[in-house]
Amino acid sequence: MFQNFRLAMAWLHTWFGLVLGFVLMAVFFFGALSVFDREIDRWAIPESRFEPQPMPSFDKVLRPVFESMQPRPESVATLRGEVNGPIPERFDIVRRWGAYTTHRDPVLNMFAGYEVPNAKDPEKTVWGSRTIDPRNGRSLPDDQLKIGSQFFYPLHYSLNFHWLDLGYWIVGLAALIMLVALVTGVIMHRKIFREFFTFRPAKHIQRSTLDLHNLTGVLALPFHFFFAFTGLVIFAGLYFPVAHSQLEPLHELHEKLEAEETGLPEDRAGVPAPLASVDAMVAEAQRRWAAQGMSGDVGFLAVQHVGDANGYVSIYRAGTDRIALTSNGIHFKASTGEVLREDPPPSAVDRVAEFLTGLHLQHFRHWLLRWLYVLGGLTGCVCIATGLIFFVEKRKRQHARQGSQGARVADALAVTTITGMLLAALGMMIANRLLPQAMPAGWPGRGDLEEYVFWASWLLAMAHAFWRSPPVAQGRLSPAWGEQCWAVCALSVAAVLLNWITTGDHLLRTVAEGYWPVAGVDLFLLASAALAATAARRLARVARAVPAMQPGGKPEAAHA
Amino acid sequence: MAATDATTSHVIARIAAALLGGYAFTWGLIALGMAGLFALGMPFHDAEHLSSMLALLAYLGVFCWAFAARSLPRVWAVLAGGGVLMAAAASLIQHMLV
Repeated sequence: MFQNFRLAMAWLHTWFGLVLGFVLMAVFFFGALSVFDREIDRWAIPESRFEPQPMPSFDKVLRPVFESMQPRPESVATLRGEVNGPIPERFDIVRRWGAYTTHRDPVLNMFAGYEVPNAKDPEKTVWGSRTIDPRNGRSLPDDQLKIGSQFFYPLHYSLNFHWLDLGYWIVGLAALIMLVALVTGVIMHRKIFREFFTFRPAKHIQRSTLDLHNLTGVLALPFHFFFAFTGLVIFAGLYFPVAHSQLEPLHELHEKLEAEETGLPEDRAGVPAPLASVDAMVAEAQRRWAAQGMSGDVGFLAVQHVGDANGYVSIYRAGTDRIALTSNGIHFKASTGEVLREDPPPSAVDRVAEFLTGLHLQHFRHWLLRWLYVLGGLTGCVCIATGLIFFVEKRKRQHARQGSQGARVADALAVTTITGMLLAALGMMIANRLLPQAMPAGWPGRGDLEEYVFWASWLLAMAHAFWRSPPVAQGRLSPAWGEQCWAVCALSVAAVLLNWITTGDHLLRTVAEGYWPVAGVDLFLLASAALAATAARRLARVARAVPAMQPGGKPEAAHA
Repeated sequence: MAATDATTSHVIARIAAALLGGYAFTWGLIALGMAGLFALGMPFHDAEHLSSMLALLAYLGVFCWAFAARSLPRVWAVLAGGGVLMAAAASLIQHMLV
């Protein structure tokens, strides 16, 4: 099909890079934001602007909340057609209670899984969740969206498109293509060492774009490769559900052997039993960690088979100072508090898997590395964006001569994914500050509205990008680029001002108090505004210098 | 126009071979790795993680190869054929263990 190996690889790089580049842009950008997902949550939920808290007392704080929980209506809605008879009104058999926290969480996220009586699939579970203030056990309103950890973060790996899990599959394909683009990119450019040092910003757009594309691609090559690869590894079980389909019998065999070996019951006994003091179990777990020279906080706490004689409590150490999210699990009999099992040290393969996924998810404490992640992610965005722009720049004069619309469409889509994506995120943050605390009856929830604003802003940006794209078909620059940069600038400043007006937390106060989650988001927004303004002014200068072209003809004289 | 059509269909055939053939090959590799390593005494989830990590890297390799190789039928034979063979071997191992 291709004349030689290098041309084949170049074709692969260009066309897969173009098609999946639009997805990769979003994956890299929202991945970079997710590094500070909890800090963005603080910005979006002013009530949660207080210091991170350790796991609170189970007996006094968590237990009453868990006991008052029920599955979410959306989770119960998935039962339609899955139950013999009517869908139950209440769910009282609890499979699992769980709470996970990290060194960056002031509020605590709790979840509960319930058995479904008469379910066609006996393993079917419905889920409920609750966010509480761990200082007093008060629940936060359900319709408050944690924009960072519940919207930007899942957008990063699922595009928040859950029908048939299609979003996960698209992102998975994009990650594979990212790896392919890195490999083929290296093959295309033999002078890889020189590209470390080559950037000619003063040359024409096409040349400097390619320089920047190569520079950001090569310089951060290990970063890009690592994150695309580990992203695939994290969801390998979803993309290749071998253990839950073809090799399900083998998996069940393993689970039976494991239950025998660990002594942790797989199923309920059917005999009711009370729950002993979990606080005492936590104290015992912490005593054992300290005895091993690893004193630490509780990161994850779970109760399995709640209220049953087979129930057990699992307590995991928080991975604040470790790459693994949690470790050193200790399991207690729920009814007596006796220790059933202490997890053995992880195997070699476990350690590798923990290292790869833990380094990707970064729940540990390392603020410098956290910022380097943001930098790496944004470098990836620059690499992808310049790739898209180069695609257009290389073709638009030729397309203008031929009267083709290809470059124009690609350019409008590039505007949509690059500046349009920023506008969507900013629109959401502004909506978050402007919507009333509680929506009037009959309206969608506050969080739902914020999501609608996000997608609507993006659509609007897309419409604008296409509306302003005709100059591209004449070999010129689309004014949409500059206009959207100005919009990014204005909305970023507006978001910072609105945060000040609605919460009183202006930068002088947050910086003086050293409250970095909110100060950091505000400063980041202001830096974005400055960068967008600079970009807009430079774009205006470039636009004046580029003459228009007619199909089949020579360049016209430039009009301002 | 005939030339363009041929190119388009060639391109689609290559993409299908790389994506679907590559997927089948990767699935087979994971399945065989899991069943095989488990049979050799490795803990189940270790076998699962190890073979997934290696097989994903293999997917990257065969994906590129599907475009570089001269003969498309050979690509299909290796990827789909190999995938089916490895998956069958995995099922056979499972059959002996369970």
